[in-house]
Amino acid sequence: MDKLLVSPSPHLHTKTSTKSLMRDVVIALLPAVVVSVLFYGWSELLVLGVSVASCVLLEYLITKYLLKGTCTVGDWSAVITGVLLALNLPATTPWWVVFIGAVVAIGVAKMTFGGLGQNLFNPAIVGRVFLLISFPTYMTDWTKPQGFIGNFDAYTGATPLGIAKEGGVAAIEGLDYMDMLFMNIGGSAGELSAIALLAGFVYLLARKVIRPYITVSIWVTVAVFSGIFWAINPAEYTDPIFNLLTGGLLLGSIFMATDYVTSPMSNWGGVVFGVGIGLITMLIRYFGAYPEGVSFAILIMNSVVPLLNKWFHAKKYGRA
Amino acid sequence: MMKTFSIGGIHPSDSKISKDCKIEVLPVPSKVFISVAQHLGAPATPIVKAGDQVKVGQVIAEPAGFISAYVHSSVSGTVKSVGPRKDLAGNNVTHIEIDVEGDEWAEGIDLSDTLVTEIPSDNKAILEKIKMNGVVGLGGATFPAHVKLCPPPGKKADCLILNGAECEPYLTSDYRIMLERSKEIVIGAAIMKQVLGGCPAVIGIEENKPEAIKAMSAAVAELGYPGISVMTLKKKYPQGGEKQLIDAVMGRQVKSMGLPIDVGAVVQNVATSLAVYEAVQKNMPLITNVLTVTGDCLPMDKQHNYKFRIGMPLSYIAEVAGGVPEAAAKIISGGPMMGKAIANMDATTVKGSSSLLYLTAEQTVRGVESACIRCGKCAEACPMGLEPFLLQKYARNGMMDELEENAVQDCIECGCCLYSCPANIPLLDIIRLAKGDVIRIIRGRSAK
Amino acid sequence: MTTTIIWTIAILTVLGALLAVVLYVVAEKFKVEEDPRIDEVEKVLPGANCGGCGQAGCRAFAQFCVESSPNLDKCFCPVGGNDGMQKVAAVLGVEVAAKDPQVAVVRCNGTCENRPRTNEYGGYQSCRVKAALYSGDTGCSFGCLGCGDCVAACQFGAISMDPATGLPVVDEEKCTACGACVKACPKNIIELRNKGRRNMRVFVSCVNKDKGGVARKACKAACIGCGKCAKVCPFEAITVENNVAYIDFTKCKLCKKCVAECPTGAIHAVNFPVIKPKEE
Repeated sequence: MDKLLVSPSPHLHTKTSTKSLMRDVVIALLPAVVVSVLFYGWSELLVLGVSVASCVLLEYLITKYLLKGTCTVGDWSAVITGVLLALNLPATTPWWVVFIGAVVAIGVAKMTFGGLGQNLFNPAIVGRVFLLISFPTYMTDWTKPQGFIGNFDAYTGATPLGIAKEGGVAAIEGLDYMDMLFMNIGGSAGELSAIALLAGFVYLLARKVIRPYITVSIWVTVAVFSGIFWAINPAEYTDPIFNLLTGGLLLGSIFMATDYVTSPMSNWGGVVFGVGIGLITMLIRYFGAYPEGVSFAILIMNSVVPLLNKWFHAKKYGRA
Repeated sequence: MMKTFSIGGIHPSDSKISKDCKIEVLPVPSKVFISVAQHLGAPATPIVKAGDQVKVGQVIAEPAGFISAYVHSSVSGTVKSVGPRKDLAGNNVTHIEIDVEGDEWAEGIDLSDTLVTEIPSDNKAILEKIKMNGVVGLGGATFPAHVKLCPPPGKKADCLILNGAECEPYLTSDYRIMLERSKEIVIGAAIMKQVLGGCPAVIGIEENKPEAIKAMSAAVAELGYPGISVMTLKKKYPQGGEKQLIDAVMGRQVKSMGLPIDVGAVVQNVATSLAVYEAVQKNMPLITNVLTVTGDCLPMDKQHNYKFRIGMPLSYIAEVAGGVPEAAAKIISGGPMMGKAIANMDATTVKGSSSLLYLTAEQTVRGVESACIRCGKCAEACPMGLEPFLLQKYARNGMMDELEENAVQDCIECGCCLYSCPANIPLLDIIRLAKGDVIRIIRGRSAK
Repeated sequence: MTTTIIWTIAILTVLGALLAVVLYVVAEKFKVEEDPRIDEVEKVLPGANCGGCGQAGCRAFAQFCVESSPNLDKCFCPVGGNDGMQKVAAVLGVEVAAKDPQVAVVRCNGTCENRPRTNEYGGYQSCRVKAALYSGDTGCSFGCLGCGDCVAACQFGAISMDPATGLPVVDEEKCTACGACVKACPKNIIELRNKGRRNMRVFVSCVNKDKGGVARKACKAACIGCGKCAKVCPFEAITVENNVAYIDFTKCKLCKKCVAECPTGAIHAVNFPVIKPKEE
């Protein structure tokens, strides 16, 4: 080194980078991805492939040619959006529907707001909700395609939540919670295995990628809310464990509600955010028209984040 | 449970490579350049001129104001010139250039090795000695020590905290003096404690220095001064920050823009305590200190802890220590978190010099800045509970009212935010400037 | 069906009328009385809101003009220049004296070639941050830091960094002499100087206060404070203070004697016609 380097302090820097954080999220999603591919086979692989490839490609094209700025594909955030979008769709979704979802997620929900760090809503959820509203038939087609392992056809045609919505609590009697913990019976790819998702959660916590406040407050809210209703009238309302394990609740609470950009920054803000998501989810499940409401709940609470960031601040030193 | 401060903090690798290197005395070079700005506050006024003969320990510059300090000659010889010379940041500062001739000491300085345990009873005389011998805080800020030891009227010290945390990675000079000069440090603490009206004294040391804890505890037990204790603290940066240490040791928090004495705390570094001992018991002016020469790119045999005299050129010290390593991209004076990068190796040592730290390009070159992903890691790390991501945004847009509302003036510039930012946003670079601007606005308002 | 439509129309009409009344009452109640001339003055101002006049923006300047009218000596909009001020004066019906037009001048010629780099800066690219940290990445602690705070401060796109020299260049056509760059420069290198006759100017392109030898060692184009220029100047326009010469633009008569005398070429003469060497 012929010339000394001079810069303001600090002179050391953490090894954690945006890239490594995002890569950790992808790693945490891997168990769920593996389980979904094993159970749904080639068609799931196609959905995943199309989703990730189109998200990355779209981000590359838009940053390079439309915005003419620095290309941000290298930070892995588009990969996360791609994987999450795929895990939120039925394995039978046609490739072109997946592609449209990716266009909405990356093109509309992320890039129009200014790219990484600027978007108000979680891109993957915006993509999924757009598809749910535009292509309801594809999005609620839970026919189980042939997977690589396992074969279970007891509940093909509908998710447990859908069945409960249609036929009431009686219709889901006999449902084995152990089944749901390890391999859910129906639903989108990411709803298959609670264990796989929880493994991802533990990994994220261990690597200090996320803090537990948001996720845990969603769980607590859902459990308490459904617990109260179930205690009052178990014939009418589904029980807390069912509500925690079914649908996109785990996927949403672990991977989508905790998205840095679209969640509050302070711990208390995160708790309020989580409680809000839990309440809205349960209100939709019990009283709404849709069987499932996690996506809507997260989207609605996303819009409140700027307010939460304004209201809740970290505790400052020496200030009561 | 071990104590630590309550908000934020980070855990960089402590890298105390040179901790087992005994303190060596650096030979005196043929020429020294003594700066008159070695302390916080007004630079001292030189009282010698070219051609004057000076002895070691003789006053060569006098304080120019209440917050200022005496500067003494660290060598004996002839004053060659008094004039501007570039400091380590490349800015002009008045230096006194002295050609070294022999090693003749000024009168009244006790050069023997005997430990003087008996503390004089006259507090005024003690403070006068601390002031006349130019003792300043050696924990980094170099605030004149006698000023801190005289609480303003109406305020009382409840606790004297001796800072032995040395939370900055790499630095081992405080660790070495805690091992090698433990008794002197304890006597220094007893002196300061007496001046402050007999409040208890706590020596705070981080858990990663078990030998220092042992040595200091043994010294405290052996000397038997009442009310002095050693407290083991959890390892966390910035434990040695004044406000953090008060929180950790006393469980009290200093108010925004307030002083430690407001909550009854006086914090002094262990090296300052040693300087107080030397000044009061031996009448020795502050002309020496210990610095660490270290870095991952230095082999073990080139790691050193040196006792240096003020005014030695840094390039000279680097030469004696075995030369600047090829791999060094940046040389730092002080710790890697808060120290200053050296722009000019011809600059000379000052009272507060604590290291020559060589960092490689791989360790220190910052990554390219990318978009803020609002991960909140900076807010999590900030030991003052601030939100750096917000402050830098306000600062870039010149929003002074919002900056003040969000307490930018409380920033202690510890560097935790910039250290932990995954997007390499130059948070502290920007916030530091904004802090200065806001403090100026606040001072201007209260002056009205 | 028809009733629904009728009801809808009726309700909306009534609602509209009611809200109109509310709006009217509120507007009347909170009406702010303002001198109508402020609006008129604001209309003839450039509307750049640059703050070059010393006021918070064009509206504030218009108010300031109206308040200080009829004496507009303290009001000057550098962007509109003398023409603009004539318009303002016309609106207010007063007279205003013309001022000499000015332009921003960068007083540093420490190009990469003249002033070799002695270290490498690795922090945030901002002159203010860099200046607060240290003297800069060259031996000269007074010269341009080259991070372009002036470029960022200019609202008129009149300053750009020259990658070859590492110094800012002022586009004289675009410069409005608003002074934003002068305030932005932490080293006080940029100065507003009178444009001069036919844009011709002579100035010392250095602010180094170090002694001659030190300054020269750091930069080949430094002013060494030798004072030769001050001696040769017939109009006493040049002063040497703190080892650096300064040319008073109100006294300089553009004779260029100093330019020839300067041993380091620190004195620059710009926009003079190129004189072809006479054939003998």
